[in-house]
Amino acid sequence: MLLDLLQNTIDGAAAGASYALLAVGFTLIFGVLRRVNLSYGPAVMIGCYAATWLHLNFQSGLIVLALAAVAGTVLAGAYVERLCFAPHRSGSAIAAMVASFALWMQFEELATLVLPRHVYAFPLLHEGAPVEFLGLSLRPDALAVLGVAAILCALLQGLLHRTRFGLAVRATIENPHAASLAGIDPGRIFVLIFALASAIGGIAGFLIVATHGQVTPMLGMWATLKGLLAMMLGGLGSLRGAIVGALVLGQIEAHSQWFLGPQWRDLVAYLLLFALLAANPSWMTRWTISRSAS
Amino acid sequence: MDDFTLGLLTNVGLFSFLALSAYLLLLAGEMSFGQQAFFGVGAYAGGILTTLYGVPLPLAALAAMGLGALAAFLVGLPTLRLKGLYFAMATLAAAEIARLLFELLHFQREIEGELAGPDGTQGFRGIRWIFEQGIEAQEFLLLTYALLALVLAALLLVERSRLGVTLRSVGEDPELAAALGVNVNRFKLGVAASAGALAALGGVLFAHHNTFIEPRNFDIMLGVHSLAYALIGGLGTALGPLLGVALDIGVLEGSRIFGGARMIVFGGLVAVLLVLRPRGLLDEALVHCITSRALQRR
Repeated sequence: MLLDLLQNTIDGAAAGASYALLAVGFTLIFGVLRRVNLSYGPAVMIGCYAATWLHLNFQSGLIVLALAAVAGTVLAGAYVERLCFAPHRSGSAIAAMVASFALWMQFEELATLVLPRHVYAFPLLHEGAPVEFLGLSLRPDALAVLGVAAILCALLQGLLHRTRFGLAVRATIENPHAASLAGIDPGRIFVLIFALASAIGGIAGFLIVATHGQVTPMLGMWATLKGLLAMMLGGLGSLRGAIVGALVLGQIEAHSQWFLGPQWRDLVAYLLLFALLAANPSWMTRWTISRSAS
Repeated sequence: MDDFTLGLLTNVGLFSFLALSAYLLLLAGEMSFGQQAFFGVGAYAGGILTTLYGVPLPLAALAAMGLGALAAFLVGLPTLRLKGLYFAMATLAAAEIARLLFELLHFQREIEGELAGPDGTQGFRGIRWIFEQGIEAQEFLLLTYALLALVLAALLLVERSRLGVTLRSVGEDPELAAALGVNVNRFKLGVAASAGALAALGGVLFAHHNTFIEPRNFDIMLGVHSLAYALIGGLGTALGPLLGVALDIGVLEGSRIFGGARMIVFGGLVAVLLVLRPRGLLDEALVHCITSRALQRR
């Protein structure tokens, strides 16, 4: 029993780590642009489809596939930024969100046009059986995901709080107009943050499909929902909050699946989100990226 | 009319109810990602009543609308005071909870030697009231559009009345509306309940038109679509959402010229359109311009 609990916690942490990367990318865009990008997950899916296409046609190695996933996601992200967010920068947030939904439709159709089957196999990060340790089964690839997520989050924290670029980003979040008076070009920051968030999404996507071993067109909706859910669970627009929210989400899913059954896994997560929002705890509305420094 | 056109036109009508439901809440200043839940509640409730209990469709529709209104009221009670994205996410969570509960719903009975009723993820087969009554597809189409016309007439009347002014003022500036003596929270609850009933009515018709429903019919895709319909068509008049639905289902499903790349064309079109007209085709300015000109001529 205790062993099961521990095993679930480990599995949940591995899932939570991949959610954390998705949520961090989502939060970067939301925190800086104050816009919800529904196309975030679908852009990640495009990156993964680019990698799958390379895998099918050229049997490329894992490193090439990872690079392709990142490049594909960044390209798709750039397209989303140009068409949905650049034109609505000072305008309607809702229009930007609906436009990003329209591009989601495009991405899904594009993916199924290029690779029409419902499921494609993707090479695994680690072939073979999990390592047995004190009665627990540890998957090396899941541990790798945990490690990569931790390193990336630390790097991002450093980038935002230790560099001039990070300072410019935080200044833009605080007040874009004042930032532009100080010589910062908010438009440039928006584009760079979009690219950064997309690159993180691409890495997340690659890690997710390389541990699951398959790619489907549902990946887009799945990634958007998990990213949104983790971001909301951890407050809104705070990087630390997003990471905490993602880890909590991973734990909730793993444990509710074990105790209540697979059908309850998502239900419990949504019930918790609904209850949190209905209770409207003030910490959910107070956190922002810049304040997470303190 | 061939079957394809008939089905297409019926679908335009059915999803218009959902688009109008999202539109109603948008007017009150709330963006709901969860209207598909009430569409689903209507579909399941209506289907269960006619198929398992032999209730006539009109009565079942009324009951389903009541249930949809009640569900929307209960969801709105703790969430309507939330702002913007928080409300959107709370309604999204509620709708996903509803969809996952449909997946857990097993309620089958033997009807004429066959098992009927909702069977979790396997869906709900055999909602055959329409066929048992010998109602033709054309008649059902007429029924759908008659109901839609009724709803539309009511909405257009409301928009011209004091109630409509209150509705838009609550959406534009809730503090000002409150200062003018409107109980904003109670008003929004009323709007949410009406929007829930409207979505449920669409759901009942959807279930009986399709004869088969399954939980994933009512996923987040449907919800975002209904929002998009209202926003593409425009928030200036209740005709806006209908234009949005007609554009999507009618023109794009109907025209097969783009072949497999249909959604790519449509998605691009919508994104560009939103750059040019962020509040939709029939936005408030255009509607105002048209109505004032029409008044001048008189």
